[in-house]
Amino acid sequence: MAVLRPALSVPRALVQTSLRQSPRCAVSRRLLSSSSSSRSQNNNAPPTTPEYAVPDPSRPTHFGFETVTEAEKRERVAGVFTSVAESYDRMNDLMSFGWHRIWKDHFVASLNPGFSPLSSSSDPRSPQHILDIAGGTGDIAFRMLHTAHVLNANPSVRVTISDINPAMLSVGKQRSTSLPASQQAALSFVEANAEDLTRTTPLLTSTSSPSPVPPQEIPSESVDLYTVAFGIRNFSNIPAALREAHRVLKPGGVFACLEFSKADKFPLFNTLYKEWSFRAIPLIGQLVAGDRDSYQYLVESIERFPSQTEFRDMIVDAGFVVAGEGYEDLTGGVAAIHKGMKPR
Amino acid sequence: MRPPALRLAAASARSIRRFRTIVPSSTSSPSTTTRTNRPLTSAVLLNHQLVPSSSPRRSYHSTTHPPPPGPFTPVESAILSAAYQHVPTHGFTPEALALGARSAGYLDISATVVPDGVFGLIRWHLVTQRLALAGKKTALFGAEENKLVPGEVARRVEALVWERLMGNKEINSRWQEALAIMAQPTYVPASVKELALLVDEIWYLAGDVAVDPSWYTKRASLSAIYAASELFMTNDRSPDFQETREFLRRRLGEASEIGDATRSVREWVSFTASAGINVLRSKGMPI
Ligand SMILES: C[S@@+](CC[C@H](N)C(=O)[O-])C[C@H]1O[C@@H](n2cnc3c(N)ncnc32)[C@H](O)[C@@H]1O
Repeated sequence: MAVLRPALSVPRALVQTSLRQSPRCAVSRRLLSSSSSSRSQNNNAPPTTPEYAVPDPSRPTHFGFETVTEAEKRERVAGVFTSVAESYDRMNDLMSFGWHRIWKDHFVASLNPGFSPLSSSSDPRSPQHILDIAGGTGDIAFRMLHTAHVLNANPSVRVTISDINPAMLSVGKQRSTSLPASQQAALSFVEANAEDLTRTTPLLTSTSSPSPVPPQEIPSESVDLYTVAFGIRNFSNIPAALREAHRVLKPGGVFACLEFSKADKFPLFNTLYKEWSFRAIPLIGQLVAGDRDSYQYLVESIERFPSQTEFRDMIVDAGFVVAGEGYEDLTGGVAAIHKGMKPR
Repeated sequence: MRPPALRLAAASARSIRRFRTIVPSSTSSPSTTTRTNRPLTSAVLLNHQLVPSSSPRRSYHSTTHPPPPGPFTPVESAILSAAYQHVPTHGFTPEALALGARSAGYLDISATVVPDGVFGLIRWHLVTQRLALAGKKTALFGAEENKLVPGEVARRVEALVWERLMGNKEINSRWQEALAIMAQPTYVPASVKELALLVDEIWYLAGDVAVDPSWYTKRASLSAIYAASELFMTNDRSPDFQETREFLRRRLGEASEIGDATRSVREWVSFTASAGINVLRSKGMPI
């Protein structure tokens, strides 16, 4: 135990220092104290956007354990994912001990996209529009299409894969070529910042002309299911992204997020996991991908992400309603699934 | 002061898990009352696990504090109560959930926010039926509170169990499917906890206030009798479930006549376990 402590105490101290400086922290504390009352309420009208949910390039936020501005974070996150785009799967395997595939399967199965009850109406298979945010490499989107088109025999489900990073999107686009043609036809790729879905651009393929395409808006109330897997902790302004999710979803539409979370209900396991992630992963990142800093950031960003209940309260604060606790722990809380529904 | 129901739930969860492995394979059909399987050598097990603990006892049914908020959020209640209407025709299935979301004015996808999917719908049935019992108390026993003649508690227990069984009437044809889902390892603890809460509620409404060493045995026997009767009912085609009513009477009668509660618990748990396993086998579970 004594051996473990020094490695952990450094990040802890950093967390606390920068939390005190961060204006976001005040927000989450306020959310916590009001959680019991706000959680059960049905915010019918989207709440007026609080100041902290309006993106501001100069507002401080965290990049791992550093404090940077929102604009800086965006740039540096872009750097991280451009540099790990190729080794991305390996990184996920390291962070989750290979569990991320199982988590993703469970995430998609629990959302059962394309499922429609048999009813007397002519075609029981209702169309669905799924928006996979930070969908980079297509991992979630391809599973969604498989469940909807194959398992639920519902070809009228289409998926938009959106990511801020064209390098990640290109990896996804490349991979999608091995899908059946009907599934490829149901996919589209757009470049967009999750905090502002009013300006998106279709991914430019290398063959298409570089003539600028005018930005398009993802219309309000046009999406049945909004998913974000292992993406949201990288956003510069999470409350802004949650409000955009609320805007684009139809009433009754579902926000679903899969993200690394807190395993602190199991202290021993948690200690070992942190030891692994803080010590081993940056090292492995350096040896395997020659990129220690990117892997260091990934580890720190996980540590920085709010706890299950804090994040649930942020979702409620953005106007969603939740069922039960609003989240489900996976593998002891190493990851968690949060879901919210946009009320009518 | 009443011992917490949770402790009992945990103990029964343990014993059920062990029964799943101990119970010898038996071919007795769920609808027969003959006990063809060997009695379990589990009296020790039960005694051991149901010993009251010395930890501080929390009043479960408080009369001075408002009840704790139900386990369902408003959106959950809206979807589940609507989905429940579709159970008689569609069973405890994703269809019922999605139809419920539709009737509540939402989308097919909306039902996926309900935790645990179809088990959430089963839990809705268990919780709402349990909570409904309290409202039927006056209708069943009148308003007079304090004059409990000997035998009255037993009569009330029977009436309450019967009332609760009748709560399964609408969905009785779907209940075997539900039991198969409840028996999935992830859901066993929650299912057993619900059974313990139900039995606790029945003793409470019947006016049983004794806190003595019989507390745990009484609850364990009633759990076993309730579970067996519910299972019996799923195969009962008699008018107004008369056979189930007789089955219940016999079980309750034997439990009180024998006096040796432990023995009856053992027998009824073994009956329930073997009958339950047969149901699950018939649903294709590899046990
Ligand atoms: C770890 S990857 C997740 C990829 C995929 N969803 C998965 O589960 O495998 C995180 C992604 O978030 C994207 N991202 C970061 N900030 C973003 C933002 N503000 N808006 C949209 N995407 C963003 C990154 O470009 C990166 O592709």
